[in-house]
Amino acid sequence: MVLDTFLISGLFHVVMLIGLALLLHLQLGLSRIANFGVVGFWGVGLYAFGVLYVRVDWPFGDPIQFVVCAALATVAAGLCGLLVGWLIADLDVDGVMVGTLGFATAVALLATTEQDLTGGALGMGGLRFPYDTGDVAVNELIWLLVLVALVAGILAYVWLVHRNPYGRLLIAIGSNEPLAKSLGKPATRTKLGLFTVTSALMGLLGAMYGVMVRFLEVSSLGIELTLAAVVGLVVGGSVRVLGAVVGVLLTVGVFDIVIQSYIPLPADWYTQTIPLLREVMFGLALILVLVFRPLGLLGHMRRDRLMKRIHGA
Amino acid sequence: MVPESTTTVRPELAARTAPRPRLTLANVVKSFAGRTVVDVEDLSLGNHPIEGLIGPNGAGKTTLMRLIMGSLKADSGQIRLERAGHRDVVLSRLHAHKIAQCGVVKTNQVITDFDGLTILDSLLLSVTPERREFPLHLMGERATYEEHRAEIERQLDHFGLENTRRLALSAGEKKLVDIIRCLLLKPAVLLLDEPTAGLPGEVTQKVMDAVDDLAGNGTTVVIIEHDLDVIWNLCTQVTFMAEGRVMLRGEPSEIREHSTVVESYLGQGHV
Amino acid sequence: MPSPGGLASRNLGGPGRLAAAAVAVLALIWMTGNLSSVVPSLVIGLTEHAPLVLAATGFALLYRLTGLINVAYAETVTLGAYFAMHLNTTYGLGFFAVLVPAGVLAGLLSVATYLLIFRPAKLRGVGVLELIIISFGLSIALRYGLQFVFGTPVRFFDVPPPDSVNILGVGVASFRLVALISVLVLAVGLYLFIQRSRYGLMVRALAGDEALAQVSGIRPFAVTVLIWFIAGLAGGMAGAFYGVGSSVSPMLGSRVFILILLVVLVGGIWGLNGVMVVGIGTGIVLAFMTLTLGQVLYAHVVLIIGFLVVLKARGRRLTESTKV
Repeated sequence: MVLDTFLISGLFHVVMLIGLALLLHLQLGLSRIANFGVVGFWGVGLYAFGVLYVRVDWPFGDPIQFVVCAALATVAAGLCGLLVGWLIADLDVDGVMVGTLGFATAVALLATTEQDLTGGALGMGGLRFPYDTGDVAVNELIWLLVLVALVAGILAYVWLVHRNPYGRLLIAIGSNEPLAKSLGKPATRTKLGLFTVTSALMGLLGAMYGVMVRFLEVSSLGIELTLAAVVGLVVGGSVRVLGAVVGVLLTVGVFDIVIQSYIPLPADWYTQTIPLLREVMFGLALILVLVFRPLGLLGHMRRDRLMKRIHGA
Repeated sequence: MVPESTTTVRPELAARTAPRPRLTLANVVKSFAGRTVVDVEDLSLGNHPIEGLIGPNGAGKTTLMRLIMGSLKADSGQIRLERAGHRDVVLSRLHAHKIAQCGVVKTNQVITDFDGLTILDSLLLSVTPERREFPLHLMGERATYEEHRAEIERQLDHFGLENTRRLALSAGEKKLVDIIRCLLLKPAVLLLDEPTAGLPGEVTQKVMDAVDDLAGNGTTVVIIEHDLDVIWNLCTQVTFMAEGRVMLRGEPSEIREHSTVVESYLGQGHV
Repeated sequence: MPSPGGLASRNLGGPGRLAAAAVAVLALIWMTGNLSSVVPSLVIGLTEHAPLVLAATGFALLYRLTGLINVAYAETVTLGAYFAMHLNTTYGLGFFAVLVPAGVLAGLLSVATYLLIFRPAKLRGVGVLELIIISFGLSIALRYGLQFVFGTPVRFFDVPPPDSVNILGVGVASFRLVALISVLVLAVGLYLFIQRSRYGLMVRALAGDEALAQVSGIRPFAVTVLIWFIAGLAGGMAGAFYGVGSSVSPMLGSRVFILILLVVLVGGIWGLNGVMVVGIGTGIVLAFMTLTLGQVLYAHVVLIIGFLVVLKARGRRLTESTKV
């Protein structure tokens, strides 16, 4: 395999979005928490990691420095999840939407204003891989593999959740919260716990992205990331384990890998036309899928088949 | 306050000798948009195994049940639960899920279900203990079913519900599932809001048998029912409500004879 | 959408009132500490942020009467600005000559999105959450479609440089003053239309109970189309005012959208009047904080946090009250 940097960063982006879409599947697909601020939690992870890594004078060197900073960034994103989750805990869909979107907006604004820490609109460098093989392409490939391992872990977790009482609880709360409460299920606490943990993991993915790009830009905190995760999940199937994977491959995968790496186009198309076209297509895909096939390509949850498989006919 | 030591009493003995779980409502008021829907000064449910709650439409019966369940919050007043072997609890101060955890559960008048969950899912949800629903507890599914298989199958047999690995289809099935998941919770107080509406006659009988059985084992049952024959046959105490207030309380025979009830209620074509 | 809490909606709940009072007291203390900034921020807030009131009123109308959070409303605002700018620069028409046509075009666009997307979706039984995501998709498609057509660089209206008028010691561009007056006239007109006119009555009846409205001889379809048109009209005109005040870009609407959303959700607690009052208040607070903090973005952050806290204090009753 040729170590094409374009291809590696494209793959990194796709795998990261699969991770985000899987986490969004737990929030939106199962528990029906309408998180329109995915980029906010991811961004807190990204910037907390970057600022801690670059601005703080750590007494230890790299593998540990990365682990400590990434752990703190994850915790920071988790705390934001807890706070935002608490704010929106007893609001309806509209309130949840405004709360999460407002949070993401606030994160982007603060990343811009706090120039001393974040570099503001100019961006911030100084990040590096926690190891060095001497070859950037190899470094990036290794980092991609680390991410693949993490996202595979998330996928395995989601798979297990569907097959255990916890998943049933999430589905029940998402489908009929008052009924779940009337059966003694602590719906608010459960949602808050889920939102905290999934937000934290979104933050971890942000931190890993920071290492990959090694340069923080405020422009990465725009709505595009949230859109990509939502489109991937919705197109693939928001209630199925593999929906996020299928959907992200078909949307982000097509644009960021197939078109970017394999379709011969005039050079300026890649920088000018394709990114715009990508967002327009994503927006249209959301509309078409939700109007004509609301549950996405993979369709219904099929708990019937799952129950048969686990408990026999 | 009941001392802690009474918890050592054998449960089946306690069921027979100890007083039943009792709900006490004091000055419970609820209004919507300035209109008082419930205004109960003093009501105690649980001195009898099966209590009936009757009254014309809009009398506040369902609202009263929702206030007890905590899915609505009363504007003022107090709802207490007294239960042998347990501390008294003021339900009106608790969150809805805590009230259910205290053993007060309710079946729904309107068809209520979890979209996407199978019948078996619904039943397992009821019996799953909280520790198994922890996010990192990822091995509990089979064990939960094995532990509760006997009682789940007993209920399914009783109600003649088959093939549970599918979504509930008809309204009647959903209603039955709603009732069974409450029974599986082994409630201290079971509130039934029109349990037989929309069910065929023979199934109604099965529901009544199950309710009778439950009441015989120490559960307090409160039932709202438009089919008054069910009330007269099943209940040992009947409360008549109108305009949010408790108008009359007494044995079924007394209430039945009372002119107010006959006029305001049976006169409306419910004979 | 019938609501059990309808009449009670004018009263803030206990925690809500407490939070609002606390915010007000803190704001007062802070303002007295920066007295010199109070007058300028009043003037700037009223003139510069007047379009916010108009945009929020239009959005509130749509939200309260159809129950839909329409994210693509942001692009209605943006497109209003583009329509006005295009008419202005292509045909050399003055700003006030293009204001109404631009508003009408935006209104028609708004109706088109209803007919082509939201109505079919609703008829197919798509849920509330899905409708929001659909409007999100539409918003993105329109925003980037605009960038595709017009490119990213900002564009400007071709209007004569404004003469400055001195109000209470603050220099204000004369057209901003006219803008303020027009915005207030439009917003009040909209309010009167909804509250007083025959059509307004139909609109409110439809929002209350569709079935009942239908038997009373109201045609839900026609009235719903009317609502979408008026909302688009208000949004488009707001966009034109925003555009002439600074510049026109594909991001114009989405930049102010979160503020519109928060003003409508929080102000909506007190009804349509509340939306206007909170909209005006937001403009003033925004101007004041920009002057004292020296950074307009901080003002946005503080406002977002403040509004979210009010929503939290308000809690679940949000749903019941804002959709009547």
